[in-house]
Amino acid sequence: MTRYAMAIDLDRCQGCRACMEACKVENNTTESVFWMYVFRLESGEYPDTKVSFLPRPCQHCDDAPCVKVCPVGARFKRDDGLVLTDYDRCIGCRYCELACPYGVNYFNWAKPQTRQYLDYDHPDIAAATGGFVPPYKNPDHDRLYGEEQRRTSGGGHMKGVVEKCTFCVHRIDKGLQPACVATCPVGALVFGDLDDERSGVATMVHDRTHFRLLEEAGTRPSVLYFGGAPPSTESREIETVKARI
Amino acid sequence: MATATPDTPLSRGVGKLTGGWLGFVGAMLVLVAVGAYAYSREVSEGMILTGMRDVGTMGGATWGLYISFVVYFVGVSFAGITTAAVIRIFNLNRLRPLARMAEVVTVVSLVLAALAIIADLGQPLRGIVNLFRYARPQSPFFGTFTLVVAGYLWASVVYLWLTSRSDAAVLARQPTRLQWLHRLVAAGYRDTPAERERHSRATFWLAIAILPMLVIAHSTLGFVFGLQVGRPGWYSALQAPAFVVLAGVSGIGALIVLAAIVRKMIGREVGLDMYVFGWLGRVLLVLLLAYAYFMVTELLTATYAGGARERAVTRAMLWGDYSWVFWSSVALLAVPLVALMVQALTRRWTVAWLVASGIAVNLGAIGKRYLITVPSQTHGTLLPYVEGSYAPTWIELAVVGGLLALGALLIGMYMKVLPIVELEEEEVHA
Repeated sequence: MTRYAMAIDLDRCQGCRACMEACKVENNTTESVFWMYVFRLESGEYPDTKVSFLPRPCQHCDDAPCVKVCPVGARFKRDDGLVLTDYDRCIGCRYCELACPYGVNYFNWAKPQTRQYLDYDHPDIAAATGGFVPPYKNPDHDRLYGEEQRRTSGGGHMKGVVEKCTFCVHRIDKGLQPACVATCPVGALVFGDLDDERSGVATMVHDRTHFRLLEEAGTRPSVLYFGGAPPSTESREIETVKARI
Repeated sequence: MATATPDTPLSRGVGKLTGGWLGFVGAMLVLVAVGAYAYSREVSEGMILTGMRDVGTMGGATWGLYISFVVYFVGVSFAGITTAAVIRIFNLNRLRPLARMAEVVTVVSLVLAALAIIADLGQPLRGIVNLFRYARPQSPFFGTFTLVVAGYLWASVVYLWLTSRSDAAVLARQPTRLQWLHRLVAAGYRDTPAERERHSRATFWLAIAILPMLVIAHSTLGFVFGLQVGRPGWYSALQAPAFVVLAGVSGIGALIVLAAIVRKMIGREVGLDMYVFGWLGRVLLVLLLAYAYFMVTELLTATYAGGARERAVTRAMLWGDYSWVFWSSVALLAVPLVALMVQALTRRWTVAWLVASGIAVNLGAIGKRYLITVPSQTHGTLLPYVEGSYAPTWIELAVVGGLLALGALLIGMYMKVLPIVELEEEEVHA
């Protein structure tokens, strides 16, 4: 059986946030939506301060609180470990957002077309794009995936539904790595099948100790952190993104 | 005692349209229209027009005023049907004038709760279909939709109809403009002794069935919050029982206000005497004391032994961004508590004080519902996100205002088509 997991090596992460950028490009997420997010954290008092980085994709929990609370089964867990949102079924109650201890869910507060980074309606840009908003949309995001055959891929589909990190279900389907993993310049992100002994993830689990985020919440995440330390209550976030719309 | 004969107008002010009532209806319709306009904007442009935003990097609260009012409306509904059922089961005959309006309050506030849920959905039409089509009992929301909105609202409507039916049959004997409606509601009921006996038994067993159902239904709404381990401030076993108690506080408060209005409109001789108000005052006092106990227990646990994140939420509530809501809610609950206690000890109840208390505890309850919903989202993230903020926009205020006006309108219209206070024996046989 396949059991997808992501390993994040905090000793390697340099906080460049390229993964966040790759995710946005790959998944068409709108302004201020960060399916992949990298905390830049600071702790201690000057001059003894420490800076650390913590990438935060969806944790794809085995006991996912978001799946439990979804009143219509739009949020579901696949047998291979992916926790996905069927945006054709989501009613937009946003309960998953509140049940999730990690804050990985994003609601489409407005029509995604109106929340693009670039003003595609601007005459100069519209002339170049032929008037399409957004000008290119990955057709893979409209396909059906998995045994369940549900539309779960990509973001920015419609207003009033919740979307989140899919581990790039459309890329996995083709045997590719998730966009964030493929982009990471220092190999801090590793994606693979825990049940496949030769996979990078399985090797790392075999060789090194790891921790998972907020283990006390009992969610059993599929994202495993190697090196570094979990954020403490002393950790302060610095260099936040422009996130409020 | 007013008696209903064919040449006198219908009792209880039914069918009598006064200028004041028409003015009230007009004013409420304007508010409802404003709310409907605001909601139409929200539907067409998206919920970006509300003050809600995502929890986490976006630093917002994803549930705001709407869910606070869902909780509040469901809370208000509690007292109505409880009062009616208790009066029926224990045959508290002197309180019977309260039963009908209590039932109306329940039905109306449940309708408002259902509408407020719809207002909060990103895909409202899909919601109405999918909530039934793909219902999942594992979700705490399931209880809210099935038990509260479907089961409990339905049971309350049936209960209201069963008890209104006999009065409708009596009113239908008179040839008025509303005769067709009274005949429709009476639905063949003629008020014979056998029929009355059957009705009495049916309402008794329905009342017995409603009581446990509503404790469970109200608890499920508490569980919507209380079962979330990922939200400090929500995850608490006290959430459900405290919810039920505060529900009683707001509902009895609303009932006092309505009873006072009805007394003013159709006179005190229908049985709305000081005994009734004194009883309501004592019930409100007991519930307020119970709620104060829950609040102290909860705050003590959170401040004395709470984890760091738990304490951050409590701090925001006690001394931080939400302190003005918290302390004014506490005052709005504490002042009536003292006022009621003084009245109970001196055994001198005054309607004016009771109405003031009723309004105050409702405002306090709204504040507390807001504090249950919002701070845990903006200040209760377990990962080190920057603190968030939330403030409702005019869209949300207009929609909530429209819902409140709709509720007042429904109650006002009920009063003009069916008696808001049940007819008494001698009137029935006049």
